[in-house]
Amino acid sequence: MSGYRFDRLKVLVVDDNQHMRKLVVAILQAFGVVQIFEAADGNRAWTTLREANPDVVILDWMMEGLSGIDVVKMVRTSPQTPNPFVPIIMLTGYTQIDHVRQARDAGVNEFLAKPVSVKAVMSRLVSVIEHPRPYVRTKAYFGPCRRRRGKEEYRGPERRATQADAMPTDAAA
Amino acid sequence: MARQLPIEIFMPPNILKAKVGSAAGGIDMAAIKRAEAAMETLKVEFHDWLASDVAQLGTSRDAFAAAPSATTREDLFRAAHDLKGEADTFEYPMIARMAASLTKLIDATNVSTAIPLGLVDAHVAAIRVVFREKIKTSTDRIATVLVEELEARVAEMLSGA
Repeated sequence: MSGYRFDRLKVLVVDDNQHMRKLVVAILQAFGVVQIFEAADGNRAWTTLREANPDVVILDWMMEGLSGIDVVKMVRTSPQTPNPFVPIIMLTGYTQIDHVRQARDAGVNEFLAKPVSVKAVMSRLVSVIEHPRPYVRTKAYFGPCRRRRGKEEYRGPERRATQADAMPTDAAA
Repeated sequence: MARQLPIEIFMPPNILKAKVGSAAGGIDMAAIKRAEAAMETLKVEFHDWLASDVAQLGTSRDAFAAAPSATTREDLFRAAHDLKGEADTFEYPMIARMAASLTKLIDATNVSTAIPLGLVDAHVAAIRVVFREKIKTSTDRIATVLVEELEARVAEMLSGA
């Protein structure tokens, strides 16, 4: 089977490390993506975003000047943004939970931890295509819903009852 | 904490899916294989790529040692963070682990002058050794001793011992 028509996608890859950029670009090209734009820092990413209006952004976090998180916030909330809904996959060496939370709170759709693997890149692309999240607008936040999954999507066993059963009560403690 | 009101929740149209169509039969395994082949082709360049990033770490270390400041500290952190993220991909898992230890040390020490240069240098030297000796496994005995010592020293430093 032929799979997705990745040749129809425009992808922006932002990383200040040229080697990492080259690697991600090579993977995307092998998937069939033709229109790939590159940026080496947050400022150039913002300019390219507005010029090229990509369908997906793969964005490094740690960059000189505008960080990846700054760019995400601009994409989601700036009046100059070409598309506040553009899926953003954050590619980063930060893997601690507080960093994941910070990325999520800025409006990132998916988190791709380094080291990079072919399967992980494909998995995040498929996720933004097949499982888009609803968007949330509050006074303080605009971006994808920060809850990982809707309740209706969960198809596993009911765990809460089990967890509650396992919780020690005051009387038992 | 009180919930922020009003909250508007909506589902934008899935333009991405409309563009790329569906892969009802599953992921295109040929695309995965092509990408893995592309990575294999790039592997010949990994050594040179890592060489330039190890060199950059040394340059950033020298700039920091000459003039510790928020800027040079940031550059040093970024060089170590780059290695932490990429060295595993470039087949040097021990360099990734050593660089992770170095980022932990820099990240946890807010004042630039408080970062112990000797411990920074120990990390840089260890990374150079692993790279020079082309140690590409995570089980090498010497590299394991080195990284465990570095991690212990960082933990000790951060605990204030």
